[in-house]
Amino acid sequence: MGSTLSCVEILTVLLTKYVKRSSNPLEKDWLILSKGHAAPALYALLALEGLIPYEELFKMQSIDSMLQGHPDTSIAGVDVSTGSLGQGLSIGVGIATWIKLRGGSGRVYIVMGDGEQDEGEVWEAITHAVVRKLSNLIVIVDDNGYQLDGRVCDIKPKYFMPFIWSTIGWAVILCNGHSVSSLISAIDRALVNEKPTVIFAKTVRGKGLKQIEGTDIQRVELWS
Amino acid sequence: MELADVSMRDAVGRLLCELGDELGDLVIVTADVGKATRAYLFGIKFPGRYFNVGISEQHLIDFAAGIAVAGGRPIAIAFAMFLMRAWEQIRNAVGRMNLNVKIIGTHAGFSDHADGSSHQSLEDIALMRTIPNMSVVVPSDVADIYRSLPIIVKDIKGPLYYRIGRDYSPRITNDYDYEFKLGKAYVLEDGYDVAIVSSGPILYEVLNAAKELRKLGVNAAIINLMSIKPIDEVTLEIYARKCGYVVTVEEHSIYGGLGSAVAEVLVTKYPVPMKLLGTSTYGRSAKNVRDLLNYYGLTAPAVAKSVIELLTMYRR
Repeated sequence: MGSTLSCVEILTVLLTKYVKRSSNPLEKDWLILSKGHAAPALYALLALEGLIPYEELFKMQSIDSMLQGHPDTSIAGVDVSTGSLGQGLSIGVGIATWIKLRGGSGRVYIVMGDGEQDEGEVWEAITHAVVRKLSNLIVIVDDNGYQLDGRVCDIKPKYFMPFIWSTIGWAVILCNGHSVSSLISAIDRALVNEKPTVIFAKTVRGKGLKQIEGTDIQRVELWS
Repeated sequence: MELADVSMRDAVGRLLCELGDELGDLVIVTADVGKATRAYLFGIKFPGRYFNVGISEQHLIDFAAGIAVAGGRPIAIAFAMFLMRAWEQIRNAVGRMNLNVKIIGTHAGFSDHADGSSHQSLEDIALMRTIPNMSVVVPSDVADIYRSLPIIVKDIKGPLYYRIGRDYSPRITNDYDYEFKLGKAYVLEDGYDVAIVSSGPILYEVLNAAKELRKLGVNAAIINLMSIKPIDEVTLEIYARKCGYVVTVEEHSIYGGLGSAVAEVLVTKYPVPMKLLGTSTYGRSAKNVRDLLNYYGLTAPAVAKSVIELLTMYRR
């Protein structure tokens, strides 16, 4: 839940201001929630968009619910099935490459976690995206400072990540992931970049829920 | 159909070029093995639709998945062994989203004889077979490739694993007349004493074993199970009933491969005594494929001997 709350503003800004829906795969914008465990935030926004019924949110993860624990393309509005970390970016590189090859105007937005940067496939993908000069690819890293077993700085530090992406050839922007204006300003800049852009959005895990804010607590009983 | 004296990988490389003319949405993706897999031939002809992602098999599969999800027709081609490090990507992206990604694993089985156990893929059929939505096709020779690959790329939607070798490509099925259909087994030789089911270049040994068996008065039916998944339950059941004994021969582990697939069908449809021939351990280096077949007991005489053993065990 903490990981869901840290990316609420990121997903809200993307889905309400930027991601353009279309039935044409080359003209639509794609949103890939590579940190699929934040699915509840995505589902809440899909309900706001009217793509899924609001009541469904309360049935999430139950046997008769369409809402799976991680995003699944069987759910309206979900572009790519995720849940296994480190794969969303590679899939996004494939989509962005195909769109460019076919002269489409669609963009690919990918939301990753900071813990997710541990996955080796991320290296494989960020090096390839630069080779393909994917100006239509925008990655936002929800930098909430936690991974499953605890604080990122205790498990495996990743403070150097922006430098690595930058050295490889990505445009790197830092912003406040809970500030709508900071996010908008970062994404607006990314849209005019001629190379792929990564936005490291500093966030707080569990933002807005005092019991878990800034902790690694996984679940909380709100109505107990 | 031009059946020049080429290897399986050369045949695939040439065919992909021909298909590239016909299919404007065909994209070939490889992982720094463009030359070894012959995928580079496509790259020379269609540089805009050829992507070499570097030594990155996990990314290779998800990149191809991305192209497919956006409407392209990708083929991911690399060494069978190293595609398997992306099993989870194949399972979670290609399989789970049921994407139209064709995966060609080359250098499979013993075909990469010199490189030894690190390169000899003897588990790939088992790994691919377990993935829902995934089809598994193992052509036996160049003729089988010409029969099947164009249909697979043009007409069959969804994930499919296509397993081929490197250079060792005996001509096996040139003289047989059949068309490829996914899920169909082909009876190359009819018989009634035992049914031998196989696919891949090792089918060459099986056909020769059948000749030796005939001299001993054993009439073996030979079934080319090119389509391992979906599997032709009807033909397998008919021949189990007709022959009463089934032997499977594969250039793959007996755990989870073609033999297991046949056994899974027959144990529910019509159980008969079976013998599964294949490997149960890692490969090793050798100067040629035949030395490996000999070492692992998979030559024609060894197959014939196993068949006789099975028949005598139950015919006392």
